[in-house]
Amino acid sequence: MKIKNTNIENEFYLSQWIEGNLADTELKKLVSEDDFLAYKKLKKGIEVFCDLEQPLDTSFERILHRMDKKTKIRKLHLKWIASIAAMLLFFMGFYALINNNSVLNKSSFGEQKTIALLDNSKVILNAKSALNYSKKGWKNKREVFLNGEAFFQVEKGSTFTVKTKNGNITVLGTQFNVKSTDTFFEVICYEGKVRVVHNNKEYILNPTNSFRKINKNPIESLNYSRKKPTWTLGESTYRSVPLKYVIEDLEKQFNIQINSAKINNSSIYTGSFNHHKMDLAFKSVFDAMGLKYNKTASNIYILDN
Amino acid sequence: MDNDLKNICKPKNFKFIFKTYAKDLKRFLYFKFNDLETAEDVMQDAFIKLWKNCDRVSFETAKSYLFTVGNNLFINIKKHEQVIRKNKYRHTKNTTNESPEFLLIEKEFLTKIENAIADLSPKQREVFLLSRIEKKKYREIAILLDISVKAVEKRMHGALLKMRKITDLNS
Repeated sequence: MKIKNTNIENEFYLSQWIEGNLADTELKKLVSEDDFLAYKKLKKGIEVFCDLEQPLDTSFERILHRMDKKTKIRKLHLKWIASIAAMLLFFMGFYALINNNSVLNKSSFGEQKTIALLDNSKVILNAKSALNYSKKGWKNKREVFLNGEAFFQVEKGSTFTVKTKNGNITVLGTQFNVKSTDTFFEVICYEGKVRVVHNNKEYILNPTNSFRKINKNPIESLNYSRKKPTWTLGESTYRSVPLKYVIEDLEKQFNIQINSAKINNSSIYTGSFNHHKMDLAFKSVFDAMGLKYNKTASNIYILDN
Repeated sequence: MDNDLKNICKPKNFKFIFKTYAKDLKRFLYFKFNDLETAEDVMQDAFIKLWKNCDRVSFETAKSYLFTVGNNLFINIKKHEQVIRKNKYRHTKNTTNESPEFLLIEKEFLTKIENAIADLSPKQREVFLLSRIEKKKYREIAILLDISVKAVEKRMHGALLKMRKITDLNS
């Protein structure tokens, strides 16, 4: 069995060798002396080439870290004052936390967080979103504050309110998705009934209905046939959304910066992108829009027509 | 305001300078030292030195400052190495075979590699870049591209055969 295995592996011996699964001495037996030297040089060259092409984020982090260490010695007094201030702040914050029982949940770049609320309601936070609520008044008033995007599965009970910058959403027990950023506000109802209050006007959503307000555009209402938002399954889907917001989401998912100064970022995008592979996500968004993207430095990308 | 924009003591501007020149500086240092690790370290040292002297270096001269510092560090390190080497030889004479595997990678050779990558078939290039630049395992690439691991290995093997031919032909 073992012999058979090595035979199969040797069929594409170069691919095994460059991965380090085949020793130099083994390769030497398979190719001529000239070839062997040429391949060794090629391997080294590839290694150097790829290293030099590699993004330098970690280098920058290390520089910051090293600078930090060096400045520490000089700024001793400042450090003392800062640490006392920090301690004071910490205790004040701690006190405030005990006092109003506020709970804050935050998700980072490319991260999804599932949160169980006190009544077993479930919230899934999409990347770079924040949700907070107060434990104290929970029994009388189910109320959470959201900035970003989240999918709610609310247990039946008293009124449940999601407060956002763009408006409030009230339900009794249902499943719905809320996305609220600076200029983007969208609520999709998946189950039950959802009431959205926006600019003092009330809108009632039935299952598959949605409410959307982008920037200063008029309010839109689209129908969705899915049972769950696709982003909870690792894919963000868009229907006629200005490219600007898709780019914002890409930045949030992959912790990168995208420069779109050269293109018209208000063109409309319909489609989806995968959260796991950045290159695929880029292809599905930018190729579809006929855009080129160039990696400039580490995690900065520039878009061009 | 104008002053603020050009002041490299501002973290934002410092980061911009890093993003603009770090790669070039590392490349420059690599060809001096012929060693990736040293190039990386010295590149970092140069930026730390720039940060320390940020009030004395202007935005426009930052690039030449970085390269000059890098070059000086190179000279210092080489001088130091010479001293060490002299002492070493005095004590043990039989360690002349410092590293038989030492391979010099010239600038031209890297250009050849770059051209060779461009000459690969799209399928080969895809596998090559995923494997070498993104450091993915063949198994992961196979899942990603929805092909068998064998097929990935075949493409990689083909890519290397082709690259060896191309990099050799141009010489």
